[in-house]
Amino acid sequence: MFELKRTPFHERTSRLSLPQNWRRWAGYLVAGSYDLVLDREYWAIRDAAALIDITPLMKYVIEGPDAAQLLHRMTPRDVLKMAVGQVFYTGWCDDDGRLLDDGTISRLSETKFRLTSAEPSLRWLAMNAVGMDVTITEVTDQVAALSLQGPKSRAILNRICAKPLDKLKFFRLTETKLAGKAVTISRTGYTGDLGYEIWMDAIDALAVWDALIEAGGDYGIVPCGILAMDMARVEAGLFMIDVDYTAANHAWIAGQKSTPFEMGLGWTVALDKPGYFVGRRALEREHKEGSAWKLIGLEVDWEGLEQLYARVGLPPQIPGMAMRASLPVMQAGKQVGYASTSTWSPVLKKYIALAHVQRPHYEPGTRLAMEVTVEHHRLHAPATVVKLPFYEPEWKKK
Amino acid sequence: MAYDVIIIGAGHNGLVAANYLAKAGRKVLVLERRAVAGGQLVTESFAEGFSADALHASAQLRPDIVVDLGLRIEAPRSNPAYTCLLDGGKRLTLDADPSRASAAIREFSARDAECWPGFVAFMDRAAAFLDAAYRTPMPRLPHFTLREGLPLASLLWKLRRLGGRDMFRVVRAMSMSAEEFTSGWFESEALRAAVSAFAIHGVTLGPMSAGTGYTLMHNWLNRGGLAHRPAAGGAGSITVALVDVLKARGGEVRVAAEVRNVLVDGQRARGVRLVNGEEIAADCVISAADPRRTFLQLVGAAELPPEFVWQAQSIKLRGCVAKVHVETDGRHGLADGTLAVAPSIRYLERAYDAAKYGEISAQPYLEVTTNGNVVSIHFQFAPYAVRQGDWRAARSIVEQRAIDTLDAHCPGFKSSVARAHTITPCDLESTYGLSEGDLNHGQLILDQIFFMRPLPGWSKHATPVDGLYLCGSGVHGGGGISGASGRNAAKAIVEDRG
Repeated sequence: MFELKRTPFHERTSRLSLPQNWRRWAGYLVAGSYDLVLDREYWAIRDAAALIDITPLMKYVIEGPDAAQLLHRMTPRDVLKMAVGQVFYTGWCDDDGRLLDDGTISRLSETKFRLTSAEPSLRWLAMNAVGMDVTITEVTDQVAALSLQGPKSRAILNRICAKPLDKLKFFRLTETKLAGKAVTISRTGYTGDLGYEIWMDAIDALAVWDALIEAGGDYGIVPCGILAMDMARVEAGLFMIDVDYTAANHAWIAGQKSTPFEMGLGWTVALDKPGYFVGRRALEREHKEGSAWKLIGLEVDWEGLEQLYARVGLPPQIPGMAMRASLPVMQAGKQVGYASTSTWSPVLKKYIALAHVQRPHYEPGTRLAMEVTVEHHRLHAPATVVKLPFYEPEWKKK
Repeated sequence: MAYDVIIIGAGHNGLVAANYLAKAGRKVLVLERRAVAGGQLVTESFAEGFSADALHASAQLRPDIVVDLGLRIEAPRSNPAYTCLLDGGKRLTLDADPSRASAAIREFSARDAECWPGFVAFMDRAAAFLDAAYRTPMPRLPHFTLREGLPLASLLWKLRRLGGRDMFRVVRAMSMSAEEFTSGWFESEALRAAVSAFAIHGVTLGPMSAGTGYTLMHNWLNRGGLAHRPAAGGAGSITVALVDVLKARGGEVRVAAEVRNVLVDGQRARGVRLVNGEEIAADCVISAADPRRTFLQLVGAAELPPEFVWQAQSIKLRGCVAKVHVETDGRHGLADGTLAVAPSIRYLERAYDAAKYGEISAQPYLEVTTNGNVVSIHFQFAPYAVRQGDWRAARSIVEQRAIDTLDAHCPGFKSSVARAHTITPCDLESTYGLSEGDLNHGQLILDQIFFMRPLPGWSKHATPVDGLYLCGSGVHGGGGISGASGRNAAKAIVEDRG
């Protein structure tokens, strides 16, 4: 019988999850949430520290004299300029400049990198490595990963790590020991808060988990499922594959595909780097001609929403978790885009959405409207285009 | 910029393309890695007083190329016969004159003798259609414009004009096996095997493989019939003629100038770098090398889109030909013309079966020509990837099997042997630059011809690197010696670049 894989933390997470609302993530079972409502986990991300099992991320170790060259060619970022200990976030494209996947590249040494991806990437890596002196090893099952996110995350780690993390900058990593176990800690995350991701040998997983829970007790550490993380990542303006964009190799039609520029990843596209990289020609063209679509932030006007609900005698009804439903985005009665994820933002007290909007309606400040369903009637609530991220605390990069 | 065009490889296609481009006013430089120009069209000396046309016993450029370029090539010496050596010392001699061939066939089957002139006439018509197809630019599917549609429509019209019966025969024959195709014409095993052997000449297919109906037509077109018609001055004389007219047009040929790589800057070819480090700039670069070598070695996978690299890696190149040149004391006792050891279809298929499993045929299909004391044996099947051992050890096996097999059909041959020189598939790769020893730069199989040659979507000589084109046997028109790919490439480039 086919069974989803269990992460090395399953022994802990399975006993803690009250609703047992397991989610499938890349062939693994992970906890959707630990409580029946998401508030405690969400507020741990924003106010204390949340411990999230992110082991299902696909992980690859790329090693050899041409390791940098491979990632330099495969992704639009200038990987040759990357320092040892640096982490890059990037998407990568097919040769038409359409996003296939996105993830992080960690430079572990001059000739060794770790790549994370959402989708299996071994074949694509191998196809890009033809003629290169490089070995590619998938380590998804061997490397366990935890994300500790929230303003108290640094204080907790400093209590139990062999060396303090005060000097570890945003998107840098360090090798250290935690509860006597060798770990790599990167200052990265998927919440837009202060946060760290801890990478360890799978056999050390429970020891590290226990040490973190114990050290974090005084700081309000909370095991957190991926549903609360989903709300936080929308506030942080971070998108998700096959929710907010369709991977080019999953798309049925060209119109479903997206480019890095459309997704707001123009900053990752190093058109000034020399030589070929996958999708270069198409991206150069798009850079010159501008993008037909953009992923933007949409803030729904609260008063406008109240008026729609007031007609039926209700206060605004907003789901308590991120919604992955496509909602039409309108201007003057004409559809100009769609929201791909929408959520109530507890920290901002706003109804927000990540939306794909057609040129020229994607400029910040543009007044649009987003579909809301009020007592089974589809109506449009006024909304405003805003720059992403919606929420960025000052301590995120400090 | 010193040169408009650099052509990599002075094989016949490189030289034909160079000549057409020089004629169109381009400043052309042809670079050849070997010390001699010619590629597969070389007459080589293996030892003092021992020389032969190394790879092809005869070669003809398409007549329009000869006229267009004003080539002075001596007419073939004669129009000799194609003789099949059968078991028990029997012979089936197919003269170029159909009525004389019919007389010989009558010994085997009266019915086949009747059919033979009609068969030859059909093959000539089919070959003429193929010739027209090889001159028609193939569309870059799925991009299909009127400009590509019109020549294609005209080609289809030529097919239609073959008449209802021949039109279907040609189309059906392409996907048929030689065994099926010949059984539709003939009942005699000897005759069917004689024609089937010709169909599998130079390709890694057996007479029962689908698509050998197509290779039969292809070989018929390139050779102009069953028998070789050797040029008076040897294959090398065609190369000399091509080089001479090129120089007269202001073109240059540099031998012993091996290209290490194509210089690519921003997905555009800027010139080439030689093995000695010298860089030569040019407005455009044309490679006559096979597509896989061109893309994966000369350009490098790093400069190419990953899907394209994957496709280039997947081009089927499967050399299976070895050549054994034998110097005799003159008493080899072999008849003039082209001799084939192909006694039955089963024999040929068994010879091919060995290649499927990476083995050298124990009883090989041979095609033999003589030139004075020298006997040249084309040996099939000698697979590039031998399963056991390597080609250092296998060289003597091929040599011995070639000589023994011929001796079995022509007793006394072996005792005339003085020395031999064998060219293995590995030699074809290392000496002649043919990846996997594939004389055709890519197998002539149904998924690698017409608009799928060299790769689906890339049938118009262009490549993902701007200013880099292909003109070798691995593109449409190619496989075998005809110059069609070189001619087509030059025309496409002139059209493309104005």
